[in-house]
Amino acid sequence: MSSGSVTQPVIDTRRMWPVYVAIAVVLLILVSRLVRYQVIEYQSWLDQAVENYTSTIRPPAPRGIIFDRNGYVLARNVASYNVVITPANLPDDTADIQKIYRELSKLIEVPVNQGTVEEAKLFAACVEGPGIAQLVELGDSNSPYTPVKVKCFVDSNIARIVSERAMDWPGVSVEVEPIRDYPTGSLTSNVVGFLGPIPADKEAAYLDNGFVSGRDKVGYSGVELSLDPILSGVNGTRVIQEDVAGKELRNLQPPIAPTPGSNVILTIDSRLQAAAEATLINEIKEWNAYYGEERISSGVVIAMNPQTGEILAMVTYPTYENNRFSRFIPGYYYEQLSQDLRLPLLNNAISSEFPPGSTFKLSTAVGSLNEGVVTVDQIIQAPGRLVLTEKFAANEAGIERPFVDWTYNQNGVINEESFGTIDFRHCIAYSSNVCFYKLGGGYKEEILQGLAIQRLGEYARAIGYDKISGIALPGEQDGLIPDPQWKRINKGETWSTGDTYIASVGQGYVLATPLQVLMSGATIANDGKLMQPTIVREVQDSEGNVIEKWYDPANDGNITDTKETETSYRISPFVPNLKWDVTVEPIIRDFVCEGLYCTETEPQFYKTIDPYVIQMVQEGMRLAVTDNQGDIRRGTLNRVFGDPLKFPIAVAGKTGTAEYCDDVALKAQRCQFGAWPTHSWTLAYAPYEDPEIIILAFAYNGGEGASVAAPIVARVMQAYFELKAIDLAASGGE
Amino acid sequence: MNRGVSWRHFDFWLLGAIVLAIAFGVAMIRSAIAGNEEIATTVTRQTQFAVVGLIVIIIVAGIDYRYWTALYIPMYIVMMILLIMIYISAQPQFGAARWFQVAGLFIQPTELAKVVEVLMLARYFELTKDRPRDLKWILGSLAWVWGLAIWILLQPNLSNVIVMMVIWAAMIWINGLQYKHVLVGGLIGIIVVLLAFFFVMEQYQRDRILTFLFPDPNATYGATYNVQQALIAIGSGGLLGQGYGHGTQVQLRFLKVRHTDFIFSAISEEFGMIGSGLVIVILLIVVWRCLRTSFLAKDITGAMIGYGIAVLIFFQGAVNISVNMNIIPVSGLPLPFISYGGSGLVSLMLGIGLVESVVLRHRQMEF
Repeated sequence: MSSGSVTQPVIDTRRMWPVYVAIAVVLLILVSRLVRYQVIEYQSWLDQAVENYTSTIRPPAPRGIIFDRNGYVLARNVASYNVVITPANLPDDTADIQKIYRELSKLIEVPVNQGTVEEAKLFAACVEGPGIAQLVELGDSNSPYTPVKVKCFVDSNIARIVSERAMDWPGVSVEVEPIRDYPTGSLTSNVVGFLGPIPADKEAAYLDNGFVSGRDKVGYSGVELSLDPILSGVNGTRVIQEDVAGKELRNLQPPIAPTPGSNVILTIDSRLQAAAEATLINEIKEWNAYYGEERISSGVVIAMNPQTGEILAMVTYPTYENNRFSRFIPGYYYEQLSQDLRLPLLNNAISSEFPPGSTFKLSTAVGSLNEGVVTVDQIIQAPGRLVLTEKFAANEAGIERPFVDWTYNQNGVINEESFGTIDFRHCIAYSSNVCFYKLGGGYKEEILQGLAIQRLGEYARAIGYDKISGIALPGEQDGLIPDPQWKRINKGETWSTGDTYIASVGQGYVLATPLQVLMSGATIANDGKLMQPTIVREVQDSEGNVIEKWYDPANDGNITDTKETETSYRISPFVPNLKWDVTVEPIIRDFVCEGLYCTETEPQFYKTIDPYVIQMVQEGMRLAVTDNQGDIRRGTLNRVFGDPLKFPIAVAGKTGTAEYCDDVALKAQRCQFGAWPTHSWTLAYAPYEDPEIIILAFAYNGGEGASVAAPIVARVMQAYFELKAIDLAASGGE
Repeated sequence: MNRGVSWRHFDFWLLGAIVLAIAFGVAMIRSAIAGNEEIATTVTRQTQFAVVGLIVIIIVAGIDYRYWTALYIPMYIVMMILLIMIYISAQPQFGAARWFQVAGLFIQPTELAKVVEVLMLARYFELTKDRPRDLKWILGSLAWVWGLAIWILLQPNLSNVIVMMVIWAAMIWINGLQYKHVLVGGLIGIIVVLLAFFFVMEQYQRDRILTFLFPDPNATYGATYNVQQALIAIGSGGLLGQGYGHGTQVQLRFLKVRHTDFIFSAISEEFGMIGSGLVIVILLIVVWRCLRTSFLAKDITGAMIGYGIAVLIFFQGAVNISVNMNIIPVSGLPLPFISYGGSGLVSLMLGIGLVESVVLRHRQMEF
């Protein structure tokens, strides 16, 4: 204060105290807050600041390529071009921007202005609708450094023009997006499959593994799905600092480069696949033209090496064009496919179950001979018609019911005698239903004790039925081998003698996938050794080194680098995997049977199949090709394979004509005695002595196996041996 | 007119404090540009305004403050006309019309109005110092205030009306407002606030208050975004700060309006508690020197000028810092002397010039 005279201030100093108090209170609040934020909560706010500017980006890993066994590309990645605008890089002047928009609009045919920004928010990326200005304005308000897709999937010509004009059009550029391309398209789509966006229900798991939602695609079917972990690779990781507009400033951590997906080589031979597809489609079209209606709706052909389990061809018809799914999944197309009753989206070779019909007689034959129900030389009466007693209990009187053979009514001509007296092998060769009814269910004094359903089930399972095969493809079904307990639970009825009779010929409740039917034939052909069917031959890393991979079908198709579980098998590098050898491994439970009823022996006892039994069944299948004693007494495959001039290589096989009833047949009132529609089956292998190929053909509503499926098998087999000759000549000529 | 005035009484503490505040502010504005070209010129402009302000201080300090109060009629009318003009013709910008654009400069008469209010009330209380403190006396002072405040309320600019009402309340209190009137006034005040909330306020004003009172925990990018970013900036500054030009919230532009309303957060991030504490200390020094002036003043007018300017600076500063720290809803009031803004800076420096004018002519016996 100055040294002058001191007088009282003009203001009331007592009234200043509340003002001081107010100032002090405010200060206390401010300082305490400051201490709280800057001292006590410092770390948590600092973490939030770091989180603000830290961003993790995932450079995409290129997906592995899929080849067939000859190195032919089945799935690859090709570049697709998007025209993008980065809003932050556009010029400052509005007139310049408008000029760019107008010129670009002419080139890519997207209007400069269309709709409002609000409306543009409703459109997903790449969907046409909003104008360029609206898309850019929306992108600018969200994240100005993120490129906005203005037009997707332009052709390379437009992409080149846009790239060349980069200097005149700042902010406009071309984004290269890899998309999947399938050179073989629908030919292999059931095996190769297709990709789709990360499904919402599994998004969290995928994001944990570094996938980017909305960008990365994952397998939806085929090997694209089952081998997805091998093919997809691992995205890279870059932790970067970015500003509020999303502009990348620097790496915060050393970046991790993406690991490319591994390449997969399948066992498929696309040449054989093409031949099989052409044969199947031609056969179906020919028959449909002959009948004048769309009778045969779908079909399957599978070719496999029975000694190694390699699937050489797996054709289903109808199927779908997987290239149409490569950019996005078009709703109308997917809808059309998923509503098609023929199930073109499914791989019917493994995902659909059908009654196997007479092809199932191989199970009955193996079982009845191994169990001593019949001897090889025993003479069996095989008339055209057999009256059997339908009984639900052992002491029941039962109802007499006629069972007829397939020869009984030949276009109105009744054939009471049919095959007459035949032995075991001719039962197989002629595919006599009457014979197999007797073997399965027993018949009076002739076959005192039939095989019965429990024992039949044991043998069916031993040669490949009733379980998934474990092939590295998704969506496999396990089929059905019924037994009395199953019928009680699912149908609420007691097992009857009639059920056993018709199960013995693969009818009734018996269901199997085409692959299971093929495996049953392959087990016989391969002297009782059931090989693991496989679709994968080799997995190579991006540098071409073969890497080891194990596939575990019992554990949700889990893929590992080493053998981690007993149930897994090696898929790469390929090795023939023996599932079991029925002549060595005791896997068949022993039952004591009396009439309908079998009980397990105590203590439990497991047994093998005598190699002699397998050999007799093989001979029966060979007789189906060679035996020709007249119109009736003739092997079922003799017409197709019997001419040694046409087929110098020894073939053996089994046909099947399986009665079924579906909604269509039910409407046409065909599900009744004598009018059932039938599926057509045939499996055949060659050469007989040392089989290297087994082929199965199936035609839905195809009619007789010998007339529809057998010619398909014959043509595919010819194609196989022709291709083999070509390959041999090519390697010999070098 | 400077006869008898000794410049050695000039309050260099006060001048020093505001020069320090302005310098700190300019330095922080420079950092806050952070590559944004739209605000790149703010440093130069703020410096120019500061120079203009310093000249204003010297000139105004040299003129006896009683000349200004003597000219109250033309001053009040001019001020009112300016406010009416801005209400009628100003361009709408950021939702409210608060600027005149003259020669590329945005001029905000509202800032000046608060200083004019202090002058008007100082004169009123000088004039009525011997009158009974009755209702007439109260309403008379209110009438002067609302002659200006009504136009600001219509802009609408509620924050500055609140500032003007606080100045009025503080000044009438110190001049002997009766306790019963304080009680009645408090009740009326509460009723007016409630009525205003439901019937007068614009939706955006209500929303601001509601989002403050009941924040939505999920709305990171919604209405609470700016305040949330300000808190992150303040908290991550810690004790020592992240360093000048190194605050990520400021430099990577997560903090919005960082050169004006949220400059306190920017300072807190880059200079830590040392910086934020310094800002508060500087403001306190300014307030202290202004209050000291009111004790030294030889008449009511002088005392009220010092006191009124102190209230203006303290309240505005406290509100701004409280907004930064999420203590009260967003108001849009700048941090005195530090936030970017020419009108606010020059108006406040005009106020400081008046205070200096009072100090230069304080009661003492010259020998």
